[in-house]
Amino acid sequence: MKAVRTEIAITGIAAISSAGVGLDPLKETLRSGISALRPVPVDLAGEEGHVWGRAEGFKASDFMSPLKARKFDRCSLFAVVAAGMALKDAGLDPAAFGSSRVGIALGCGFGGIANSEDFLRGYLGKGTDGLVPMLFPNTVPNAPASNASIEHGLKGPNVTFVQRFCSAEAAFQMACRFLEEDRADIMLTGGVDELQPFMIEAFRKVGQLRRYAAGFSEGAGILVVEKGEVARKRGVRIRAMAGDIRSVGRLLPGREAEGIDRIFCPESKPQLVSLSGVAGEVKSILERLPNVPRLETGRLLGRSLAMGGLSLVSLLVSLSPGFSAVHYAASPEGPYYGIDFTA
Amino acid sequence: MNRKRIAITGRGIFCGAGKDIATFSHNLLEGRSAIGPMDLFDVSPFPVRIAAQVRDYDPLSHFDRKVAARLSRADQFGVIAAGEALQESGVTKYYSPYDIGVSLGAGAAGMFQAEQWLSETLLGKKARPTLLRGILPDRTSTAIAAQYGLGGYQGTITTACSSSSTAIGWGADLVASGRLKAIVCGGSDAISLLTYAGFNSLRVVDPEPCAPFSLSRKGLSLGEGAAFLVLEEEEEAKRRGAKIYGYILGYAATGEAYHMTAPEPSGAEAARVMNAALEYAGIGTHEVGWVNAHGTATPLNDVVETKAMKQVFGERVTDVPLVSTKALTGHCLGSAGAIEAVATVVALNAGIIPQTLNFRGADPECYLDYCHDGKRASSVPIALSNSFAFGGNITTLVVSR
Repeated sequence: MKAVRTEIAITGIAAISSAGVGLDPLKETLRSGISALRPVPVDLAGEEGHVWGRAEGFKASDFMSPLKARKFDRCSLFAVVAAGMALKDAGLDPAAFGSSRVGIALGCGFGGIANSEDFLRGYLGKGTDGLVPMLFPNTVPNAPASNASIEHGLKGPNVTFVQRFCSAEAAFQMACRFLEEDRADIMLTGGVDELQPFMIEAFRKVGQLRRYAAGFSEGAGILVVEKGEVARKRGVRIRAMAGDIRSVGRLLPGREAEGIDRIFCPESKPQLVSLSGVAGEVKSILERLPNVPRLETGRLLGRSLAMGGLSLVSLLVSLSPGFSAVHYAASPEGPYYGIDFTA
Repeated sequence: MNRKRIAITGRGIFCGAGKDIATFSHNLLEGRSAIGPMDLFDVSPFPVRIAAQVRDYDPLSHFDRKVAARLSRADQFGVIAAGEALQESGVTKYYSPYDIGVSLGAGAAGMFQAEQWLSETLLGKKARPTLLRGILPDRTSTAIAAQYGLGGYQGTITTACSSSSTAIGWGADLVASGRLKAIVCGGSDAISLLTYAGFNSLRVVDPEPCAPFSLSRKGLSLGEGAAFLVLEEEEEAKRRGAKIYGYILGYAATGEAYHMTAPEPSGAEAARVMNAALEYAGIGTHEVGWVNAHGTATPLNDVVETKAMKQVFGERVTDVPLVSTKALTGHCLGSAGAIEAVATVVALNAGIIPQTLNFRGADPECYLDYCHDGKRASSVPIALSNSFAFGGNITTLVVSR
C-alpha cells in the first residue's frame, strides 16, 4: 500500500478502559506495568483462572442524565463520552468549526450484540408481547458512531467497521483517506467495544475463552485526526503525525513472507513498536521487529475487536517528542496492519 | 481532483429476485417481484408474513457439507455472489492475490444461526457452538477471501442499510488510490428473527408487498441476498481485455447527525449527500438520467427522499425518475445498496429505467416520476443509487454504463 500523502495530524485523544476513565489512569497503568485486568467470576467462566477488562470505573451518570443515558446501549455510551473527551482534548467545537467538515470512522466489535440479545430474549420468552421496540435501533454496530455524531453534531463522513481485532485500524485507515480526499477536514476515529457477561458464556462455549477471547476487555480509544494545515491554522497542539498505512487481508499459504513484506516498511526506523490484536503472537511479525521497546496493551488493558483504538492512544501517550513508532495489528486469519507515527 | 476511472468488470448476485446475474436481469427488466410468503422460520406470530426470501436454497448445491457447516447463511450468499463476480471479471488470473481485496457491507450477518443457539440455550438444550461462528459480520469477508485465495485488503463496513453502498464506494477508492489493483466489493445479508421482529415491532412493515411512493403504503418488505461488483482501474482493465460493464464514478457517505431512526424531515441532509457524490464524481445534475431510490416504502422515507430530489435537481426534477427496486428485491438491509447498485448497472446496460412495482394510487406528497406505470427506455448513461440507514448514515453512489 502507498503512503498517505496529505499530512495527517493527531490532535486529540481519549480513553475509557479497564484502567479507568481518561488518559491519566491509562498512563499510570502503562507506567506501572500492572495489569488492570480482573478475575472473571467463576460462575461465568465455569472455572478459575480467567481475567477480563471491564470498564468498571465508567459511570454514565458522571456525564449525562440517567434519562438520556437510558436511550444508549453501553457501547454507544462509551463512544458518546469518549468522543466528547477527544473533541475537548483537540480543542474542537464541531458546530463552530463547520459540522459537515467533521466526521467519524469508528471500529466497533460487539456493539449492538447486547441489545440484540435483550431484544431476542424478550421475544423468545414472551412472544410478540416481549418485544421492546426501543431496543431495536441500537442493535446495529453503527449505533455508537451514529449516536456520537448526533450528540456532538458530526455531519461529515460517518462509517463503522467491524474487522475483528483490526476494526479500529480499518477505521483509522479510512479516516486518513477521507482527509486526503478532502471529504473532511477533521475525523474522529479509533475503536469502541463492550463486554457483557453473556459474551463470556458464549466465548466459553465456542472454546475461545482460553484462546483469542482470553483477557477480553471493553472501552473506547478515540483519536482526533485532521489535516496538518488545519491543525496548524487552528493553533492546536499536534500530538503526532500519522505516516504510511500498510495492510494485507490475509497471509496466503506458502506466500506468507510476501504478505508480511507488505506491512513492513524497510526504511522505517522506529524507537517504539506497538502490538495490537494478535500481532504479538504472529511469529513472522515478531521475527522482523527491530530491537526497540514494545508496547502490548493487551496484557495490561485486555483486548477485544476494536481495542486497537486503545492501543493507538496508548502508543501516542507513550511516544516521546521527536520519536517515531510503528503500530502493528493482526487478527486471527487476518487482516494485518502496519501504521507509522512520528511525535 | 483528477481521479482514475474505476471500471466494473464483474457482477454477481444471489437474492430472492435471482440467483445469478442472468436471472436477476430478466426479473428486473420484466418486473417480477420476489416478495411472497415467508417460511424461513415461524412468522405466524407477526402481522406481516411475507418477504423476498431466497427460496429453494440448498447449501449443498454450492458447498460440501463441511464447508457449509462452517458458513452462516449470509456467508454462503456472499461467497456465491462474489464468486460469480470474480469469475465474470477473471481478475484472479491476472493480478497478484495480494493486489485483490474484499470490501464488504454487512448487516445482521450470521444472526439467523446465532438465534438458533440462543433459542436452544434458553430451552435448556445443548446448542451447537458452531451456530455462533458467523455472528460477526466480518466473517463473510474472510470466507470470500479464503474461498477465492485473495490476500489483499479486507474490510467490513457495518452502517446498517447503507453498508454495502459504502463498501462499493470505498472499494472504488482503494483501487483509485493505487492501494489495490482490483477489489470484489458489495454486501451480503440474511433475514433473521432479529430483523423480522425488529421491523415488525417498529410497525414499519407492510402486510402486502411494499409499494414505494404509493398512497397508503405502510412500510417495507424485508429481503435477503448478496451482490458484488469487481472493480479495477479502467486502463488496466482495457489492457487485459476485460469486458467493462460500467463505472463507479464517485460516492459520498455522511451522517445526518439527526436521529437514530427518523430521517431529517426536510430532505436537506439527503440532498447534501447526493450533491457531494456528484461533486466527487465531477458530474452535473443535468447528466443524471434517473435515481435508484432508497425507496423503502415507509411513509416518512419516501417523502423525505422526494424532497431531497427536488433540492438536488430543482426544476428538472420531474425529468429525473426516482425508482425503487425494493418492491422487487425486498429491503435486503446490509446488502440492499449492493443489490441496488447491481440493478442500476444492469438497467443502464439494458437502456431502461426499471419500474417501481405495486402502485396503489398517487400520494400528493410524492409528486415525482417514479415509473409506476412501467419500465422506460433511457439512453442516459448515468444514474445515482441512494442508501439511507439507521443512525442517519446516507450513501449515494454515482454509476455509469
